Amino acid sequence: MRALLRRGYGASPVHLVAHALALALAGWAILKVVDVRAASNIAAWFVGALVLHDLLVLPAYSLLDRAAVRLRVAGVAAVNHVRVPAGLTLLTLLVFWPQITGANDGDLRYVSGVEDDGVLARWLLLVAGLWLVSAVALAVRVARREDLGGGSPADQHGA
Amino acid sequence: MRALTDRRPPGPFREGFWRSPLRGPWLTTAIGIVLLAGMVVTAATGFLSHLAYEPDLRGNAIIPADLDLPTPFGWPSSPAYLYAITQGLHVNVGLATIPFLLAKLWSVIPRLFTWPPARSPAHAVERGSIALLVGSSLFELATGVANMQLWYVFDFNFVVAHYYGAVVFVASLAVHLVVKLPTMRRAWRAQRGLAPLRERLADTRPEPPEAQLEPGLVPAAPAPPTMTRRGVLLFAGAGSATLLAGTLGQTVGGPLRATALLAPRRETGTDFPVNKTFRASRIDPRAVSDAVWRLELRGPSGTRRLTRADLLAMQQHDETLPIACVEGWTTTQDWSGVRLRDLAALVGGEDADAVYVVSLQDAILGETSLSGDTVREQRSLLALRVNGRDLPPDHGYPARIMAPAIPGVHQTKWVGRLEFRA
Repeated sequence: MRALLRRGYGASPVHLVAHALALALAGWAILKVVDVRAASNIAAWFVGALVLHDLLVLPAYSLLDRAAVRLRVAGVAAVNHVRVPAGLTLLTLLVFWPQITGANDGDLRYVSGVEDDGVLARWLLLVAGLWLVSAVALAVRVARREDLGGGSPADQHGA
Repeated sequence: MRALTDRRPPGPFREGFWRSPLRGPWLTTAIGIVLLAGMVVTAATGFLSHLAYEPDLRGNAIIPADLDLPTPFGWPSSPAYLYAITQGLHVNVGLATIPFLLAKLWSVIPRLFTWPPARSPAHAVERGSIALLVGSSLFELATGVANMQLWYVFDFNFVVAHYYGAVVFVASLAVHLVVKLPTMRRAWRAQRGLAPLRERLADTRPEPPEAQLEPGLVPAAPAPPTMTRRGVLLFAGAGSATLLAGTLGQTVGGPLRATALLAPRRETGTDFPVNKTFRASRIDPRAVSDAVWRLELRGPSGTRRLTRADLLAMQQHDETLPIACVEGWTTTQDWSGVRLRDLAALVGGEDADAVYVVSLQDAILGETSLSGDTVREQRSLLALRVNGRDLPPDHGYPARIMAPAIPGVHQTKWVGRLEFRA
């Protein structure tokens, strides 16, 4: 029986039972609240995000990362001094997008009485601070001639 | 199957496309453990928040009762900061998991392009459950992040979608753990636990391919390392720290609120924050004037109507209590007013199971119930004044509920009627 299951299904009985239980619960939850209007909205967001990520964002950050890997300042690999602040810049922009762009201004001002209080300016300062700290750390490493990057510049590749 | 394998599509489907020497089951396990801890806290406090709304009491259910899961226990009326803590954890730990989720997805992205797409029925089912896991975690984080910034870009009801998304998330996370536990254990043993965290860049090598239970993560043609595994975890940790720097101040409140660089809840002018202004409540200003407004009390022994002056003539009590919003911000102020249990006693409702609170405001949760424990809790007030002055209109003039441990949305403003029910 066990061998038959492994041959026909491809995994252990635990695998099958666990998936049957979990998928049943997830299916129940989805069916409970499925609503055509919302479902099409969710599907549009999901497919949109997938296409955007796989066709645009993934090639973009792969290429940028490959370029950054070649970056050296006075013989010291600078890649992580670009990667880290760039990553944190994009992360904060992504998470606080409505705050930074003011996309939520209408509701925030009308419902909660919050006036625009310069989130964009504070975000720019935060980001400038991150890049500054990273640049200072790089300068310290250049001064100490401390190269943490392995390999020669020619055979560095990201992805 | 063989023919399909031979016709492997180009690009990311090719073996050798993914070159990071860091990818492998140990790194995914290490990121996964941190992520799991964060997600357990976030999910548990999320379900606690659902219980804090006490959906079984009249008027409180946002998710229709026939669609809800059973409620295992009622919400306690103490300590005062209970909801501030659980919801502060929910929002802030949830935010802190975002960089670890992104790192986790980066660490396993070659699997998205595995070929053939399904090796067996089991593999197909497993990929289905992982699609649900990734989809529901991104959905939960995206809707939560949008809601905490009052950015209503979705057509659906946030509470219902976020709640059911969480059920899908918990189910798919549980099955993922059951299935991946052997992989995690093997990777952990093969690399001697935390040993890879001590490697320097020059010693950073790809994980041994034989440490994988199934191929695909350890690269076939690795590039030289440019970051250590410790560096990957610190990078994600730096992401969490940066996000928390943006919001933590609004959760702690007080003078620290000013340190929340990116959070929406800043002091508004000279006053402490509100979720909803008087203007947005659309209440006719005449309805809250002292000449017109009456508090209606209903209970087993009858109905009474009190003016604001009648309430101020009763025994006043001072309490320092927080407003803890579901969106993760907290503000603690000095309130004064009449104890709910004193009001209950006026209409014979001392032993009430609940009090039904009706606001002048016509809105979601404009009519809610508080538990009998909260009625009898001595710090529960119908507040008339804050910080030594009358309540400002935005903060609920003429009277608002102010009780410990409960969500801010149940601290109803512009109260018009209290019904004590046996």
